[in-house]
Amino acid sequence: MKKQLSVILLLAAAVLLYLAPAYSQEDMTQLLDPAFTTHQRPAAVFNHDGHNEKAEIEDCSVCHHVYEGERKVMDDSSEGTPCSECHAVDAEEGTPLRMAYHRMCTDCHTAKGKGPVTCGECHVDK
Amino acid sequence: MNAAYEFVVGPLAWIAGAIFVLGSIYRLVSMYALAVKKDYSSLPYMDLKYSLRSIIHWLNPFGTAGWKASPWTAAVTFIFHICLIITPLFLLGHAVLLETFHGIEWPTISDGLADGLTMLVIAGCIFFIIRRATVDKLKYITSGMDWFVIFLVLATFLTGFAAYHQWLNYQFILILHILAGEAMLASIPFTRLSHMIFWVFIRGYMGSEFGKVRHAKDW
Repeated sequence: MKKQLSVILLLAAAVLLYLAPAYSQEDMTQLLDPAFTTHQRPAAVFNHDGHNEKAEIEDCSVCHHVYEGERKVMDDSSEGTPCSECHAVDAEEGTPLRMAYHRMCTDCHTAKGKGPVTCGECHVDK
Repeated sequence: MNAAYEFVVGPLAWIAGAIFVLGSIYRLVSMYALAVKKDYSSLPYMDLKYSLRSIIHWLNPFGTAGWKASPWTAAVTFIFHICLIITPLFLLGHAVLLETFHGIEWPTISDGLADGLTMLVIAGCIFFIIRRATVDKLKYITSGMDWFVIFLVLATFLTGFAAYHQWLNYQFILILHILAGEAMLASIPFTRLSHMIFWVFIRGYMGSEFGKVRHAKDW
């Protein structure tokens, strides 16, 4: 009985250890924000680390920004906080979540002249 | 490719929109001036009640002898035009551009529905192409301009359909789609597509003449 229990516990630990990285930022391959209750297009392709290496972004706050009113707060970043905390899906004021994602990606890609800007380059049909 | 895309969704979209709006105003004003010059005596006979009576009858696919005489053409005409207007106006992809570029919220239909409506528009184009090519009385009044506008609409919806399904070279097809759409918009005032801005006045004129002058039905 004791042996059986330890096998189960070991298995559970193995599964947890195996699953944990799947949910960490390092291994993310797409942007699938749970704040969206219905997804109308396939999730946008996004490899967090690969992107930042290629784009040479080291400062988290480039994307994970913090705003106070209209002003971006320097030296502060918001990683770990869901985007939807400030950008509600159906926000009446400010920037709703869908607009926030689209602008965050395409504004930068347009400014840098690199990276995808059309719908289907990110929302790839599989 | 990004630069080409940014050009067609940016400056070129403004140019096409401006040609559509200013061109339509120009056509309406110059057509009115032409009516004043050539057919001044008909203008006092224009009548809102008889205009609306005719327009409402012709907006009903079962409301006129003309529609009843060609039920298939009537059915395709109505379905085609409804889908042609609803699809681009409420397409999610179009609304997202409006939202991302200008912060404008716009109602949308589902992509699945838009896909179906697009297929109906394409089927409608094929119907009209076959009809123009085979019906003798239509062949007689068909000119190059008629073919141009049908194929422009067909090209816009075919490339839109292919872009949505990400067939072939996605970015290239998408740019073709945007170019075709903008060509269509800019063509409205200056081609047969001008029935979009003129139909209500043409129908109103016919309704007024038949209702007020001839005391007869025009449907």
